[in-house]
Amino acid sequence: MDKLAKQLREDAAKIDVEVSAQLDDRIRASLQGVTPERPRENLPPVKPRSMWWASSLTGIGAAAALILVMNLNGPEPVAPQNESFVPVLTPDLIFERAMMTEPLEQELEDLEADLKKAEEAVKKEIGIFP
Amino acid sequence: MSDELDLINAAKAGSVDAFTELVRSYRDRLLRFLLTRCASYADAEDALQDTFINAYRYLHSYNSQWRFSTWLYRIAIRNAGKLRTSHVTEIGELRDDESDPLIQCIADSERENLWRSARRLLSDEVYSAMWLRYVEDMSINDVAAVLERSNSWTKVNLMRGRRALDAELNRGGPTKESEAYG
Repeated sequence: MDKLAKQLREDAAKIDVEVSAQLDDRIRASLQGVTPERPRENLPPVKPRSMWWASSLTGIGAAAALILVMNLNGPEPVAPQNESFVPVLTPDLIFERAMMTEPLEQELEDLEADLKKAEEAVKKEIGIFP
Repeated sequence: MSDELDLINAAKAGSVDAFTELVRSYRDRLLRFLLTRCASYADAEDALQDTFINAYRYLHSYNSQWRFSTWLYRIAIRNAGKLRTSHVTEIGELRDDESDPLIQCIADSERENLWRSARRLLSDEVYSAMWLRYVEDMSINDVAAVLERSNSWTKVNLMRGRRALDAELNRGGPTKESEAYG
């Protein structure tokens, strides 16, 4: 045993403690009033293990019955419209689009007119038209 | 050991007298240990009483592959912890020489009792590990089982505890380094 271990043991022995007679009586009296808990006994299985197939059949039967009942009920009723529903206002996109493309269309018409005038001027110059 | 096992079996069968015999062989050791873990002498006594009551109540769950002392110390540590939690005090805060139950039980000496130093320097768990190993002579496995820690944790912390107390023993006073252990 090394020095520290020896010292620790000696110092522990210097802690002078003894259970008093009163505490001893108190512990003994407490023990008399305690009922030890018994280990839980193994409960017998509810059904024999060989009956697993019966459980499976019952499960399948229950599932089939549920599917049948759900299909017999007919189509699902339409959910009532919620009165508190607030319709979302959408902007008039068509109008907006017209407003946006109108100047471009006008521009195109002007360009086409200019082109036609220029074409006529060229034809006149080269003498195609009388 | 076989006598102890006989007593345990008799107590399991419902004999209070058999259990009282077990109480008699462990009560002083356990009280000494609890005294170092509780805030007052009264708390240590309460923890001791609760330990024996719980041990008797749940004796059926004791597994004889472990030492009975291992099982008993585990219950004792839990009870001491519960008492401490209910009082919401830290051991380190409450101790002055007059109120410290440990110092009242130690005879005057030139040198401070190492267990008192240990309480100042080590955490509760490391302190307990040191006590179980060096006073109760428990194996590393048993100490780990009592503290519900791994063997490696126990080994490492026993080494740290030793180092801290070694420094204390050699220098005659705590050092900053040793205060960090645990």
